[in-house]
Amino acid sequence: MFYKVLDGVKVIEYGNLISAPFCAKILADMGAEVIKIEKPCCGDDTRRMEPFLNDIPGAERSGLFQYLNMNKLGITLNVENIKGKKIFSELLKNADVFIENNPPRRMKEVGLSYKFIKQINPRIVMTSITAFGQTGPYKDYKGCELINAHMGGVGYDSVREADISQEPIKAPAHLFTFQAGLSAAVATIGAVFHQSITDEGLQLDVSEQESVIQNMHSLFRYYYDKQIVSRTDVLDRAPAHILPCKDGYIHHANMEESEWWRFVELMGNPEWAKNDLFKDYTTRSEYWDALKPLILDWTKDHTIDEIYRGAQERGSAIGAVYTAKEMLKDRQMAARGFFVEVEHPELGKLTYPGVPYRFSDIPQEIPAAAPRLGQHNEEIYCKRMDYTKQDMIKFYETGVI
Amino acid sequence: MGGVLADMGAEVIKIESNKKIDILRRVKETNGDVNRGPNFNGYNRGVKSCTLNLKTPEGKEIFKKLLNISDVVIENFSPRGMPGFGLDYTVLKAMKQDIIMVSVPGLGSTGPDKNYVSYAATVQGIGGFGASFGYPGGEPATPSIFMADPVGGMYGALAVCSALYYHHKTGKGQHVDLAQSEAITSLLPEVVMEYVMTGRIRPRMGNRDEIMAPHGVYPCKGDDKWVAIAVAKDEEWKALCCVMGNPAWSVDEKFSDQFKRWQNQDELNKLIGDWTKDFTPYEVMHKLQKAGIAAGPSLSTKEAFQDPHLNQRGTFLEKKHPVVGKTATWRSPWKAALTATNPGSPCLGEHNNYVFQTLLGMSDSEMTKLIQEQVIF
Repeated sequence: MFYKVLDGVKVIEYGNLISAPFCAKILADMGAEVIKIEKPCCGDDTRRMEPFLNDIPGAERSGLFQYLNMNKLGITLNVENIKGKKIFSELLKNADVFIENNPPRRMKEVGLSYKFIKQINPRIVMTSITAFGQTGPYKDYKGCELINAHMGGVGYDSVREADISQEPIKAPAHLFTFQAGLSAAVATIGAVFHQSITDEGLQLDVSEQESVIQNMHSLFRYYYDKQIVSRTDVLDRAPAHILPCKDGYIHHANMEESEWWRFVELMGNPEWAKNDLFKDYTTRSEYWDALKPLILDWTKDHTIDEIYRGAQERGSAIGAVYTAKEMLKDRQMAARGFFVEVEHPELGKLTYPGVPYRFSDIPQEIPAAAPRLGQHNEEIYCKRMDYTKQDMIKFYETGVI
Repeated sequence: MGGVLADMGAEVIKIESNKKIDILRRVKETNGDVNRGPNFNGYNRGVKSCTLNLKTPEGKEIFKKLLNISDVVIENFSPRGMPGFGLDYTVLKAMKQDIIMVSVPGLGSTGPDKNYVSYAATVQGIGGFGASFGYPGGEPATPSIFMADPVGGMYGALAVCSALYYHHKTGKGQHVDLAQSEAITSLLPEVVMEYVMTGRIRPRMGNRDEIMAPHGVYPCKGDDKWVAIAVAKDEEWKALCCVMGNPAWSVDEKFSDQFKRWQNQDELNKLIGDWTKDFTPYEVMHKLQKAGIAAGPSLSTKEAFQDPHLNQRGTFLEKKHPVVGKTATWRSPWKAALTATNPGSPCLGEHNNYVFQTLLGMSDSEMTKLIQEQVIF
C-alpha cells in the first residue's frame, strides 16, 4: 500500500544508480509526481544490475531498477545537449523539487549548479546527493557503497570478535547508499514543508559519507572514555552472538539477566545451566568457549521458528535471522501487509518490499510499475508541453531524447 | 528522531521521568550520574528535557496542555507503552483533534508479534540484515553495526515531515505507525528480489560486488590498516595499473577484461594487496583518486573523527555540557542555508522552567507544589 501524503508535489529526478532514485522513490511512494529523466538509449545503470527475472538480463527485467523506480513517470532526455537543456529548464519551472546525484564538478561544467537552477525557479528545493558533499577537500573524489562504508567509520570494526588477518567488511548490498537516499528524502520533505509555508527554496547538500557516520555509535564511548573497541575484543557479555540452529540462525540479543533464564527454561532447564561458570553475563562471557557448544547442542535440533517464538513467548529477546525465504512467510510482516504486489506488462505480478510506515487517515493508492525507458515521453513532451510528434522524431534523431 | 528534527529547527521537548529513567541514562559508564550517558548525549542533540510523571492525573492534565500547543508527538515505546499511560492515539485525538502522532516500535504497533521484545539486533535479523552480513562462504557475522536506531529515527523524521505537510494542506492529523524491522528490509531490496526473481538466497559477500573487480579492502603499511578500492570500468583499471607502475602481472590474460578480472578476483586481490602494503591508507586514497579511481581508508572510529574532510565540513559537533564538560556527536548528513544551530544534549529536567513556566504559564508556587507532589518528577 502507498499513501497519497504528498499529493500535488512535483519532482524532477535527474540522477543514476541508487541514492537519488531512492530519495525520489520515497516521495513517489508518498504520492508525489516524480518525473525520472534517464539518458537516451540506455537509461539508468541499475537497468543493468542483477537480479534479473528468471536470470534473463534485460533493461526492463532488473529487480533493483523495478524497486527503485516504481510509481514514477519516465522520460529520456540529454540534459547536456543545448536543446535538451532548454527542455529541462521548462520542466524545472513547474517543479517543486529537483533531486540529483551527479558529481558537483560535472553539474557546474554543464551549467546546472544551484546558482543556475535557482534562476529558473527560485522556489525550488534542490537536493544534491554525492559521496562527499559539495564542499571540502574530497568533494571531487569518487565514492560508492564500499568506499563510503569504510570512510564513514562503519566498516573497520563492523564484525565483533574479528580475525584481524581478515580484512574488515562492509554491510550487505547497498544498505548505506539506500540510507543516504532516505536521509536526503527526510531533508527534502522538511524543505517542502518549509516551502509550502514560505515559498522559499534552497539547496540540500547531502553527503553519503556523512550518512554512514550516523551509524557510528562507537563515537560516543570513544569520546567520553577514550574507549576504543578493538576488532578482536571479546564480547563482554555472553551469549550476544548469532548462533546456528537446525534450519538457519538466531540472534541471542538478551540484555537483562531474566531474559537469559527464560531462554534456559525454553531449553528445558538443562543441568549445565546451573553451573557457577554460567551464573551471569560476565562469567558466561569469560567461559563462552565452554558454554557455546552446550547451547549449540540444543539449538541444532530446533528450528528458527521454534526458538524465536518459544523464546519471545517467554519474554526472552531472541531474534530470528531471516533470509528472504523466511521473511516472505513471516506472519508479522504478512499481517501488516508489508510486501506489495506490482503488475508489470513484461514481468507480470511480482512481490516487492513495501513501505515501513502506515498512516491512519490518508487515502491509499495502488502501486504502478517502474517506467519502461522513455515510456512517458509522449505524455510529457506532447500532452503537457507543446511539442508535436514530428518534433519528437527530430529530437530522437538528434540525440535529445 | 528527536535529534534529526532538532537539526531541522523543530523544538523537541522530551518528556522524561525519575519514575523510570531512560535506559541510556543508566548504562554503567554513567557511574550513577544520569547526565553522563554517552549514547544519550549523542542521540539527544538539540532536544529539551522536562520531567513529568504521566502516571498521575495532574501529570496527564499538564500533558494535555502541552499537547495543545504542540504539533507532533513522537514515541518509540513497545505498543503497550502509550496505552499504559492512558495516552494512545484515540485519547490524544480527543484532546487535540489534529495532532500528529508517530510511533516507531520494533515490529510495528499491530500484528501478532507486536509485543515481542525488540532490540536493534533482533529487529535487524528479522529485517534481513543478519543473514546477509558476513565473509564470502562464511557464517553470518555477529555485527557491531546497529542500524535499527538511526534508520528508525530517520524514517520517523520522514513520517513527521510528511504528516506536517499533509496537515498544512488539509488540516488533518495522523497516527503514523512505523516498524523498524520493515525499515531495514526497505533498504535491502536486493535480498528480497533475488529470492523473488530467481529463487536463490543472496549469499554473504563481504566486500565483493556482483561485477566490479578489483573491489575490496587491502592491507596497508601500519598495524591493522586497510584501504578500500573499487574499480568500475576498463579505463579505471588501466589508470590503476599505471599508478602501480604497470607491473608485469597486470597484463596477464586473466585480468584483461572486467569479467575476467571478476572471475579471477581472489588472485587479483592478493596481487593488489602486495602493492598496497607499502603505503598508508590515505596515501593509496590520494594516489588513486587523483587518477580517477574510487578509493579510501577503512577508518576506525578515532580516525573518522579526525578525518580532515569531515572536519572541514563540520560533520562532528562538539558541545559544552555542564556535567561532562564536552560531548561529541554528529549533525544530520546534509548542509543547507537554513540549518539550525545545535545547543547539545539536555540534563534530566533541565528545561522544566522553560516548559512549565515560559510555555505553560505556571507560577513559581504552582511549580514548587507540583515538584513536592512528584508530578514534576
